[in-house]
Amino acid sequence: MTKEELDLRIIKVKLFASSRELLGKDEIRVSLDNQTTVGDLKKMIVEMHPSLSKKPVFVVAVNHKVVDDSTIINHLDEVAILPPVSGG
Amino acid sequence: MISITKDPIDLCQILVGTKDRSAGGQVVFIGSVRDHNEKGSVSEIYYEAYKEMAEDKIAEIEREVREKWDIKKFVAIHRIGNLKVGEPSVAVGVSSEHRKEAFEACKYAIDEIKTKVPIWKKEISDSGVAWVEGVSLKRSD
Repeated sequence: MTKEELDLRIIKVKLFASSRELLGKDEIRVSLDNQTTVGDLKKMIVEMHPSLSKKPVFVVAVNHKVVDDSTIINHLDEVAILPPVSGG
Repeated sequence: MISITKDPIDLCQILVGTKDRSAGGQVVFIGSVRDHNEKGSVSEIYYEAYKEMAEDKIAEIEREVREKWDIKKFVAIHRIGNLKVGEPSVAVGVSSEHRKEAFEACKYAIDEIKTKVPIWKKEISDSGVAWVEGVSLKRSD
């Protein structure tokens, strides 16, 4: 992470499967403040990329765990949005 | 042993990986690409994973299996990338002293892997190409 990213508290959000194809990239950058929650992040992502709201509801994983909307995101967290899964 | 891999699944590796001198039974489940879905014929499936999280989740499933059943060895491998009809996409192997625990533990593990692990499939079929949107992941406790 560059110094600039640290100062601006920009995080990268990983994208997978249908979300990744929809946006044509495997991560997006989102700027956070100290109190940004997962719920805020979901709203920000859908505002930035309205096409995602047409997809089935995605969940957010922070540091490999699915968390609820009240969780506050730290700028060093590994964040990903996950569409419904279909392995096997 | 747990692995998310682009390499073809080596079924001998599952048998060897679940072998244990104190185990009287080994159960192996193999999931493969089927030639059809509800809408028509399928020629291939593309699998994608959030690899690091997927391996963590399968490790969690292994811990749960070991809490519920007295098993000896546990192996789970999920393949990613483009797979043709008939190719194994997932394999789970469990060994235990007696067959009952191995069957139950293996079924539990594959059911959990299909619904709790961040892996996605895109089917290439007669009716087009589409991501299969299955189960929404729940909050981890």
